[in-house]
Amino acid sequence: MATQSKRSPAARGRGHPPADGTTAAPVVPAVRRSWVPLAFTVALAMASTVDRVRSHPVLLGSFLGSALALLVWQGWLVLRGRDRLPSPAFEVVLRAQHYVQACLQLSVYAYWGWYWRPVYQHAWLLVGQLLFAYAFGILLAWSRGRPYALGFGALPIVLSTNLFIWFRDDWFYLQFLLIAVGLLGREFVTWSREGKRTHVFNPSALSLGAFSLILIVADATHLTWGQEIASTLSMAPRIYLVLFAIGLVAMYNFSITLVSGLASAVLFGWSAAFFAAAGVPYFINSEIPSAVFLGLHLLVTDPSTSPRTPLGKALFGLLYGASVVALFSGLDAIGAPRFYDKLLAVPLLNLSVQRIDALAHRIQGTARWSRAWPAWSPTRLNLVHMAGWIAFFGAMSATGRTDGRHTGDSVPFWMQACEEQRPTACTRLLEIEYSYCADNSGWACNELGRHLTEGRVTDPDRELGRQYFARACEARFQPGCLNLLEPPALVRADPRALDLRLLVREGRATLVDTPERELYTRACDHQWRFACELLASR
Amino acid sequence: MRAPGVALALIGGALAVVAWAVGSAPASQEGRGATELPVVRAPAGAVTFRADAWALPDEVLLGFVEVPAGPFPMGSDPQLDSTAFDNELWAGTTGPQMVEVSAFHVGRYEVTVAQFRAFVEATSYPTDPAALDAPADYPVANVTWPDAVEYARWLDTQLRESSTTPPQLAALLEGGARVSLPTEAEWEKAARGLRSDVYPWGNGLRPERANIQSSSPRAVGSYPCDECPHGLLDMIGNVWEWTLTPFQAGPYRLDIPSPDLRDDALGVMRGGSFTDPPRNARTAVRGGADPGARRPFIGFRVVIAER
Repeated sequence: MATQSKRSPAARGRGHPPADGTTAAPVVPAVRRSWVPLAFTVALAMASTVDRVRSHPVLLGSFLGSALALLVWQGWLVLRGRDRLPSPAFEVVLRAQHYVQACLQLSVYAYWGWYWRPVYQHAWLLVGQLLFAYAFGILLAWSRGRPYALGFGALPIVLSTNLFIWFRDDWFYLQFLLIAVGLLGREFVTWSREGKRTHVFNPSALSLGAFSLILIVADATHLTWGQEIASTLSMAPRIYLVLFAIGLVAMYNFSITLVSGLASAVLFGWSAAFFAAAGVPYFINSEIPSAVFLGLHLLVTDPSTSPRTPLGKALFGLLYGASVVALFSGLDAIGAPRFYDKLLAVPLLNLSVQRIDALAHRIQGTARWSRAWPAWSPTRLNLVHMAGWIAFFGAMSATGRTDGRHTGDSVPFWMQACEEQRPTACTRLLEIEYSYCADNSGWACNELGRHLTEGRVTDPDRELGRQYFARACEARFQPGCLNLLEPPALVRADPRALDLRLLVREGRATLVDTPERELYTRACDHQWRFACELLASR
Repeated sequence: MRAPGVALALIGGALAVVAWAVGSAPASQEGRGATELPVVRAPAGAVTFRADAWALPDEVLLGFVEVPAGPFPMGSDPQLDSTAFDNELWAGTTGPQMVEVSAFHVGRYEVTVAQFRAFVEATSYPTDPAALDAPADYPVANVTWPDAVEYARWLDTQLRESSTTPPQLAALLEGGARVSLPTEAEWEKAARGLRSDVYPWGNGLRPERANIQSSSPRAVGSYPCDECPHGLLDMIGNVWEWTLTPFQAGPYRLDIPSPDLRDDALGVMRGGSFTDPPRNARTAVRGGADPGARRPFIGFRVVIAER
């Protein structure tokens, strides 16, 4: 994939950095088209007429407000003088890393959205952001007196950003700001790398990292769909296999196998080690959360902002895996949502790539083993790495560590682990019950109420406990209603079929249509003893 | 690395907008301070409420009326009421059963919007805004069974802790009584007294006595009823009233029966509502409702009784 950049004299003449990294497709002769950003702006304004955008006044205002801001910017450029526009205004630059990445990201959207429909409902909002990104990028380049590299560069920025964070409709103007920050970072925060100026940060990772930090500090995650995005990816069956297959395309084209593969290896390894030591899974119900698996294939692997050397890529992957482990625990400790674990470290790692590469060079220069290493071409070496990754993933899948049921999917497992006071088990049990209660499982709400009232596995809070009993009652779970009346002893019961449709869904869609016998069979597999007894008695 | 000041200022500005935006995000319901309730005065001749007593009625016992101990005929008499539903006829009988009920005090009126608002504002209780979206002296509606239970529990605490609680009520509470929803038996005894009439006022339908078959609820006490037992108003019509009792086909039990825990919960509501025809708005009618149901025609009243 890596080819030498061929930039036009005009692009280099003013001393501005190229809009993108170090790999380039052929440069097509440029044309001057000053009406192009206006066309994107008008298209953005027209996109606000679709029902999805008109469904919420803030969403509509965000589209129209963004279009207006772009229009004002264009007006300023015109007033400043058309003769100050760069000539040529555009150069067409088609980079494989852009359109291939975009195709891979769209594949993820298509598959995920089939099982979680809000993704498809988000499509028009993606279109709006793309139109905004193009117009913004053009105006930014022209404001700096250089031509705009017209190609597919905006696609992976917008698509990658939206794979991890969307703002809710009533805060959607922040989504445009999120994209704008990524583009500004790409334009302005640059450095000289191997003799060329290039952006420091993966654009989407920079904005995602910065916004994540603000959302954590302000305790404002509820303004976004971040939590839902992170948890609904697993609703798509065999998502690990799908992401693995999509990742292979990126690995083949961009030689990022070592980054993704070693990050995965660290996470699989850590999960196994933690389970062996503590007796409970580290990531609750997976060896690697599916959203992290997505991130280590499509977020951290931008070839422009990752190391160049094989050893550097290996170190980069190891560090990313380790950072996810550390952030997962760190965010947990401060009570922040843990889905930010995959986002926060990427800008820091981007900032470290030159040091990582330098370290890799130094190690390779001094280590004896590196001299004994066969001198394969980068392509051949990458294929070897891919073969290793395929074998590793195959082994993980064959031993049930990717798709399929996970130990942590079983609620009785966590109840037992909490009873045995294993590390994190009671906290995880409460989280799991909270999550199912939020989905309207009366059983889970009643159990939460019980824990809060008894105060054995968490600090007692009887008032909050009553709120959960009330919720259990409203979900028609009898013990919840009885517990609201303050009986001498708290009332419990086994989950109903209605609850089991949630409790045994294993991270996927609610089992609405599953026949009861199948439901109880699955519950028995999850170690619900009453379900086994019920099946035996029938 | 090159990062011009202007560029950093732009990015910084963008992030500052985010920080401002998230900082101005609406907080949760916590922190809603209690506000002083205005004196609610209904039109001339109607009920007056006390702003200094949780908007309860301006009466000696804050609207609570005593119902003496003793047996009463519970259920329908098919000889008298051919419109009775099967679930009103107690198992193994052809007519009403005599049921013994201890003395208790019952609210003369249904709980009003102002009373429920006092509770919500004092506790930041999360409720459906529709519950408070009605005139202050209207019966509160759009409340679930847990909402009603929580209101009763809160009022119990207020009456116990306040120095302005009428001594008679304070004595009752000290003696072991609690503010709660009425059981089915308490509700029916309060509604029909010692008679087994179809309606509180007798056996004939009298539209001027209850708000039924109309388009909306009315302020509590809008339908005077001199014949009604204990001077209670709106026992029939206006809004259905939640009771404490889990729904069972029968026979009725005096204790709070333990339902089968595997069954979905169902609460009993009594009295019919403004939306109902006369058949659904009789003293013996038993309606079953999902305890989480919020409907514009379901409200409640409270009792002070031994539990």
